[in-house]
Amino acid sequence: MSKEVVISGMSIISSLGLSLEENWNNIVAGKSGVKNITHFDPSTLATRVAAEVPPEFEELSRQYIKKRAGSQMTRVTRMCVTAAKIAVADSGIDFNQVDRTRCSVIMGVVNTGNSSIEKDTTPQNTVFKTMTNSMPAWISLEYELMGPNFAVNTACASSAYAIAFGYEMVKNGQSDIVIVGGADSIINFEEIEGFNALYALSIANEPAGQASKPFSLDRDGFVIGEGAGVLVLESKEHALARNAPIYAEIAGCAITSEGYNIMAPMKDGVGMAKTIELAIINAGVQKNEIGYINAHGTSTELNDRYETMAIKQVFGDLAKQVPVSSSKSMLGHTIGAAGAIEAIITALSLKNGILPPTINYLKPDPDLDLDYVPNKSRAADIRVALSNSFGFGGHNATLVFRKYQG
Amino acid sequence: MAKITDEIRKEVKEIVYSFFAEECEADIVQINENTSIINDLDGDSLMFLELIEIFKKKYSLDIELKVIGKYAVKHPVSTIGQLIDMQLLIIEHENHLLELDH
Repeated sequence: MSKEVVISGMSIISSLGLSLEENWNNIVAGKSGVKNITHFDPSTLATRVAAEVPPEFEELSRQYIKKRAGSQMTRVTRMCVTAAKIAVADSGIDFNQVDRTRCSVIMGVVNTGNSSIEKDTTPQNTVFKTMTNSMPAWISLEYELMGPNFAVNTACASSAYAIAFGYEMVKNGQSDIVIVGGADSIINFEEIEGFNALYALSIANEPAGQASKPFSLDRDGFVIGEGAGVLVLESKEHALARNAPIYAEIAGCAITSEGYNIMAPMKDGVGMAKTIELAIINAGVQKNEIGYINAHGTSTELNDRYETMAIKQVFGDLAKQVPVSSSKSMLGHTIGAAGAIEAIITALSLKNGILPPTINYLKPDPDLDLDYVPNKSRAADIRVALSNSFGFGGHNATLVFRKYQG
Repeated sequence: MAKITDEIRKEVKEIVYSFFAEECEADIVQINENTSIINDLDGDSLMFLELIEIFKKKYSLDIELKVIGKYAVKHPVSTIGQLIDMQLLIIEHENHLLELDH
């Protein structure tokens, strides 16, 4: 018999803050975390802005990770482990009181950030800093968890995939608790130069805070962000038995592959639409129940056009009644962390009854005519919400969340 | 093969204590010969290797890691005192370490 799956702990580390509360308050206020790059000298690059995690992260990290272990991690791995420890504390789990063989870890990891900006890499720690399973491994080591522990790489959809796998493991009774999420930090010369070569990044450097403008007519590419998002998924019965806080339920999901192009989404958003449709069916909800979509919304020409077309294909006449917003307008594109961070924002939207805005929506694109929650957050008592993630390589994921009526 | 003097014994002890205090962010006065490397200090097996490298350089030791590995399998180390004793044996016997078991 399948189990109901709830979220009992969450945390975000991003350019907009180091705690869940700080992030949520800044998101609701419509603030931008995009600034001039400070991690390295970007003066020779076309793109010179990014959404960097504040430097206070280093002090926060030292509170959660011992020096010895920290020396074997990259900055982004420390972000992931720090976020995981905050999420676990938020959930109130005492791992001495649960069956550790039924506790698992799945992290979306695109890379471990052992790049030119990483400090103190030595022959002794190169392997640990580079191995792509390091994030889930360190988390399972921290709590001595003995359920499955692994990394998923599906590019920008990685942590949404991690949530989908975690959801299935709890739903099917394989695990009672799964710590899921992801972290990413690719704000370095090589990655930005590479994405510039693909014309994928915004080069609207002035003013930095307006560079990411999803669904706008003058959108010119995404802005790289860094950060981590971690959720504690748990069976509802397990969470209730220990009086855990419950943020929202996960009602269902879909993951698909487009088999089409290494970079571009399938024409007219057909693959995206198929994923959204399958997720709605999987969740067993009606389309008219869906009160909000947290879009992938990258601020690229193709994604925003095709995602809009996909939503129209799925929702038909209802499409313009469903608010759609992009958190990337504020946080930039956090790549491997994006799916998890945006899932958390979606869960908080349900819990708090507030839809986060799409900021920098100053020039509407006449072809993109949905309700993008322009520039200001909005109160709305919603019951069901979706979060989309689409990655280079044709990796699509849609997660369906339901308000917890406890 | 070096003769272990009181001076070397003292020096090895000081290096080991300082290393673990620094790496494990532990108070050096709380460390003693019975301190468990894993349970009390949250240390790891790599620290043993790092210490070997330190002593190899300091005393210009002729010792292969596989020799230490074979010896350590039969003589596992879990406390600071056992680790110091092992390091002293390595310094004293170098590549002849395994002959101690014959």
